[in-house]
Amino acid sequence: MMAARRMLLAGVVGIAAVAASVDLRLGAAPVKVADPTSVVMIVNRDSNDIAFMDIKTKTIVGKTFLGNNVNPHMVMMSPDGRYVVTGGTRANKAYIIDARTLELVKVIPTDIAPEHLAFSPDSRWYYQGNPDGDSISVIDMVSLTKIKTIPGLVEPLNVTFLPDGSKAYIGNYGAHWVGVVDVRRHELLKKIQIAEVPGVARLDPEKYLGEIKGINIAQITNDGRFLYAADGDLGVVSKIDPREDKVIKVIRVGRDPWRIYLNHDGNYAITPNNGEETISIIDLRTDKVAATLEAGPNMTGVNFAAGKAFVISSTSGFVYVYDMKTLRPAGRMKIGSNIQLETATTDTADEKLYLADSTENAVVIIDAKTQQFEKVLNVGLFPWGTHIMDSKDNYCH
Amino acid sequence: MNRFRLAAATAALMLVSGALWAQTSSVNGRVTNAQGGAISAADVTLRVLLPPGTPVVARMANMPGMPSAERTTQTRADGSFSFEQVPAGQYVLFVDYSGFERSSQEIAVTAQPRTMAIVLQPLELSGQPVAALTGGGAVDTQLLIEQIKTLEQRISDLEAGTVLSEPETRVRRVAVYTDQNGNEFDEPVPGARQTYTYRRERVYRRQALGEKLEEALADNDAKKITVGVSAASVTQFARQTKGQRADANDHAYQLSSADLFFSAGLAQYTSFFADVVGLSGTPPDAEIQGLTLINAYTARLVRQNEVNVREAWLRTELFSQRLALVAGRLDLTNFFDRNAFANDETSQFISDALVNNPALGLATNGSGLAGIYDPKGGFAFKAGFQQSNSEATNLSQSLYTLGEIDYVARPPGLSEGNYRVWARNDNSTERNRSAFGASLDQKVSPFFGLFGRYGNAEAESGRDKFYSAGFQVHNAMVVSPTDYWGIGYSQITLGAGDRERMAEGYYNFEISEKLRLSLHLQHAFETPAGSPSVGFLVPAIRLQATF
Repeated sequence: MMAARRMLLAGVVGIAAVAASVDLRLGAAPVKVADPTSVVMIVNRDSNDIAFMDIKTKTIVGKTFLGNNVNPHMVMMSPDGRYVVTGGTRANKAYIIDARTLELVKVIPTDIAPEHLAFSPDSRWYYQGNPDGDSISVIDMVSLTKIKTIPGLVEPLNVTFLPDGSKAYIGNYGAHWVGVVDVRRHELLKKIQIAEVPGVARLDPEKYLGEIKGINIAQITNDGRFLYAADGDLGVVSKIDPREDKVIKVIRVGRDPWRIYLNHDGNYAITPNNGEETISIIDLRTDKVAATLEAGPNMTGVNFAAGKAFVISSTSGFVYVYDMKTLRPAGRMKIGSNIQLETATTDTADEKLYLADSTENAVVIIDAKTQQFEKVLNVGLFPWGTHIMDSKDNYCH
Repeated sequence: MNRFRLAAATAALMLVSGALWAQTSSVNGRVTNAQGGAISAADVTLRVLLPPGTPVVARMANMPGMPSAERTTQTRADGSFSFEQVPAGQYVLFVDYSGFERSSQEIAVTAQPRTMAIVLQPLELSGQPVAALTGGGAVDTQLLIEQIKTLEQRISDLEAGTVLSEPETRVRRVAVYTDQNGNEFDEPVPGARQTYTYRRERVYRRQALGEKLEEALADNDAKKITVGVSAASVTQFARQTKGQRADANDHAYQLSSADLFFSAGLAQYTSFFADVVGLSGTPPDAEIQGLTLINAYTARLVRQNEVNVREAWLRTELFSQRLALVAGRLDLTNFFDRNAFANDETSQFISDALVNNPALGLATNGSGLAGIYDPKGGFAFKAGFQQSNSEATNLSQSLYTLGEIDYVARPPGLSEGNYRVWARNDNSTERNRSAFGASLDQKVSPFFGLFGRYGNAEAESGRDKFYSAGFQVHNAMVVSPTDYWGIGYSQITLGAGDRERMAEGYYNFEISEKLRLSLHLQHAFETPAGSPSVGFLVPAIRLQATF
């Protein structure tokens, strides 16, 4: 077996060497994306690549292959538009792509199962969450090296930086607290308990001891003054004041809220409550639930555009629509049958949504105003999420 | 906003550049591979590193007026490079060469020239051959051997890992194009028409064993018949508070009920459901003769200690699932007047008058059909019919028909509310008897919701009139966050003059997600036409398990 492997590898290396002897001077890679805001990035979990779709022409202008069995999870462009990064969940590595040439320029080992990530506002630090490693990998985007691993977290799903870049807030899905990280030292400063577990939890070990559905993300408000974090098991949203890093309000929502999404005008937030197939709309001016409306099963995301909220119901193939002025239902869009929808991003004009339709290998472009849609097929295998630079709805699941 | 950011960054950049322009120097270096071989034609870029706090601007290479923040050159044949007249300051120096990882580092440029030695490392991807084993020259044998060793170690590590690395196979429904000869094409071709086929697809998704097992179990569960259980035990005690002494005074009652639910998917958007119920016990309604049931579970009691099929129906969804049709043996009123705060005797009030509208007037379950058109836009329309007399020999003479319009409203200053109007007709008494009614549930605050019902039904003499109202409180004044409580009042006056007034309060504790305990206190006043009122105070305890 070992000998066969050695022969195979020697063959591969030999072919490469021959190719190298013919011409290895390939020169500068051509620029494929001149304007980083002109493309939708699509993370394809099963073809193990990142596809770049031109927003105007709706054509794929390039793909960056990451390697077999990498299973990239979330894609994001750095705020300065220089790099595109993704975490390879099954490769335990972070992948750095040049945003202009779409060349893979660096592969950096992380901790176990990297999924969601965030950039510091100055683009210097790339925080890669490793939910199975219970850690954050800190990658310096100047040296393109991992400079630190922040331990002590519990299934960290999402990272949110303050606008001044001084602190980062970590949603721990395996716990009921938000971690506060000092970005200067890349160290965990504090744990903020979102709410107390009710005393009756002792009578329900199946729920409370079986699996923790904690905090997905601490979402920051548009003005950067507060963060809101939903806790799945506790069915609450807590408001955090980052000046003192303490909870100043607890708002009860529906059962098993997946996470919180903030409307672009900053007036409302929505929690999709998968435990009861509803959404709770929170008025952020009063910090009270303004409406609880019927929705669908297995909700994976919420996007805002054209004064409406679009709630993705993954397994039903529907997108539920709500009017954010009247806070009333505004219909639902059937994207397809026997399909699985993932997450979407909204363009910067708040006009169109780009929804990953994994089982059809497609991206669904939804016109928010008319509620009509079209599908761009063959974007890659099992598209898991999309991303547009400067979009207000860049998220993953 | 972007323009502001751009202008600010440009200004900052120019300030930094301008202030430091007076001091210039050079940055030189040589780029090699790990074995020291020179790499020629590598791209070397020097980028200004802005001071911390400078607003970030997306790099848009073609944008007019954007200052040149980057300088790029290529290495010579000996791997060397140089940048001349570099202003002092902080920079990022990075080097790219095909097949190698990018080398990137922060450097400080002062008045003294900088000389850099840059070593590029090969970029390795699983599934792709290693392309960068030379520095543009001859193959390095030692490097190849080291590379083989490294790869062998990595394969060994991979095999020892806990994840499956075999390719995943799945089946997809895909559009193809077939011509007259049956040739299949993936893209449209002249003379071919679009059809659909099912195609196997191999993908590279590495999965943990746990994920694989989870998928297999979920797939297996989806093919099974789902069984659910709803079991309840209601214990009540009657204390007469008014009127001539009755047999029920100081009597205790207990009724146990168990519903078994079966459901299964049959075809696309088509499912089967059955509810089999068994009841046993003594409800207070056997001794307290009211116009409505004190214990709403009693409506399910057909015969003691027997199991009966309450419902058995098929449901299918049409027109992009906007229209749902339900046909079979059903309780038509289950689909109508579904008040959010007063609809369910298993979790809310126990009095029948507070979870139903007696004016709906359908006492038994039977064969029927319900249609629900709900585009999820706020309006919904419902219509249905059902056999209303189980003794009837045909449907024509026992036809109960019902229609309803639902609307989700949000009155100014309030949260959402559901408003319904309905009308029905029943010909089972050899004449058409109609009724109409309305129902609403309105959240006043996140914690407090009001409900109300009204019904007006044609009767033997005159018209029966019914109304109920009350409220439910969630998340306020509760022991545990998921508890809730409510208070309601109802009154029914028959055309013949009989009257019943009922008040009830309850508190529902959540012991676990599957088990709830509730305490109830009812006070009923029955006033037969021309007779004095009889009053009963009925405390109750209900244990409800659903799983």
